[in-house]
Amino acid sequence: MKKLSIFPAITLSFLLALLVFSGCKPDPEYIYDVNQVEALPADADKTILKTEEQYISVLYANLFQKALSANELVEIKRVIESVGDKETVYEVILSSFMNQPGKIIPSDATMRADLDKFIEETYARFYVRKPTAAEKEWFRNYIQADANISPELVYMSFALSNEYQYY
Amino acid sequence: MAAAGAAVFPYILPSGRLFASSGAQLAEHVVFVLFAGGVRQQESVLQRYLDDSQGVPIAGNIMYNMLEGAPPTQKIVYGTNGSLDGNTPIPKIINTTLEKQGTLFKEVHVDTSGHYAGLNGLVSGNYAATQGLKQKPVYPTIFEYARRHMGLSATQTWFVGNTIGNSVPLLNYSTYPDYGAAFGANFIAPQVTFGAGGQKHMANAKVYHPEEELGPMYRMKYFLDSLALSSGKDVPGIKNTDEEKNDLKNFFKEMYNKTASNSIALPPVRDNADLTTIGYACEVLKWFKPTLTVVNLSAVDGCHGNFTGYLKSLHRADHGVAHLWNYIQTQIPEMAGKTAMVIIPEHGRNDVPNPIIDQNLWYAYDHSDDNSKRIFGMMVGPNIPANLQLGDEANPLGHGCDGVLTIAEILGFKNEVLNAGLTHGDAMSMFDRI
Repeated sequence: MKKLSIFPAITLSFLLALLVFSGCKPDPEYIYDVNQVEALPADADKTILKTEEQYISVLYANLFQKALSANELVEIKRVIESVGDKETVYEVILSSFMNQPGKIIPSDATMRADLDKFIEETYARFYVRKPTAAEKEWFRNYIQADANISPELVYMSFALSNEYQYY
Repeated sequence: MAAAGAAVFPYILPSGRLFASSGAQLAEHVVFVLFAGGVRQQESVLQRYLDDSQGVPIAGNIMYNMLEGAPPTQKIVYGTNGSLDGNTPIPKIINTTLEKQGTLFKEVHVDTSGHYAGLNGLVSGNYAATQGLKQKPVYPTIFEYARRHMGLSATQTWFVGNTIGNSVPLLNYSTYPDYGAAFGANFIAPQVTFGAGGQKHMANAKVYHPEEELGPMYRMKYFLDSLALSSGKDVPGIKNTDEEKNDLKNFFKEMYNKTASNSIALPPVRDNADLTTIGYACEVLKWFKPTLTVVNLSAVDGCHGNFTGYLKSLHRADHGVAHLWNYIQTQIPEMAGKTAMVIIPEHGRNDVPNPIIDQNLWYAYDHSDDNSKRIFGMMVGPNIPANLQLGDEANPLGHGCDGVLTIAEILGFKNEVLNAGLTHGDAMSMFDRI
């Protein structure tokens, strides 16, 4: 009987001690901080300038949704090499593409029916990325404000832009 | 106070350049003909025709638009086809030879016997001996000096090339810091640009309205580029302004139309590639009236395998240069009487032939020995001494890199080029050698 009464007393003392000491433990000191994250532009992963062959091949595929033949690629590359101002020669060749049948470009009505969708699809088609909120907003406002802007002109601006020259 | 007041500070001229160029301008325009491909002194200035190459004692002048002297009277093979192949010399275009109108350096030394180093020496005034093919010039070209020190726009300087091979398209600007693409020249290789490939892929370009269509298109492009530029994504190469680009596109359109209608300003005889290049060079001059135009010829390089063809090409190079000069004087009023022309080969050809014989059993010549380092130099135009011949075989005078400083002097920025200190140590303005 005596043995039995000792065990609860020890247990009780242990629990009391635990309660007393744990009650005296100070609160942990929390430090709130911000992780260092490098903010990069939307095109940051594109660092390599396309070669003339790459540029023309990709451009043709973007516009016609099919590959340019090897012979035509060689011909066009020679023409590009024969003109010093690459921006201008690209623009003339692009304008020539725009005069060819078979290019796949949405109609003006389709573009204006859902501008956000058109802008997102154009960014995906030419830049292989989503537009930022600011980019989407700028293009939405710009296209809405000018009835002369056609999908063809938007495509030209993307195809001639600096980001499109990189991958 | 007085000293402070006298201090010179750089200022931006309306044209965008720092400082005004320091010298007086001798002519408003310069056309620099790279009389290239490798021309032997013996068949050009020395007028020895077959006498100093094939053991046939027939001499004579086959460059009678440029040089004083009577043409050969026998074994005429360099002309157009008459009753025999090449037996009809091309008629003279100009009555007074360029030699009589200007100054001829009859014996000039060049350090190289290679095409690309030679062309580099002509356009940059320095050979850059360590420079390989497929590499842009490492020293500034005459285009960059002109644009930087005269404040010229891109369409005021032109390089009309004969080919897109042999690194020729790379010669329109260098990689030198503080010069480079921002001061580069427009380049075309007309036989490609306006040849079958160009006709197929550029002639049918859609024409957009400059304000209603191209204006908004460029604004969208510039918006897109503002992001790309912020992350350092510029596109290398020369830049024309939007206005110049439009002018360039209109020029291309016009050239495709004129090519299709066979109305390019080609010389009377137009049966080789150099003469085609000359014809389109005339069109560039007529359209843009550039301050500086460089035209590259090279057909004489066929001498590696055919001496008869070489003679024909040399005769046609003379014909082409005369047509170019005559066209400027008679068809471009804005440039007539205000244009200087400088003509220098990039190197010569060998003294000893190779074993290849042609249809006339004549030996061909390569370019590698000391005879290949002998050339001539010529300049003609306003404020250039007329009928002046300097140097001879025994007394060479001039250097293959003299072209840059000569043009710089004509256009009034020689001191700027000298101060840059980047031309060959032996290079001088031809005027300073007189």
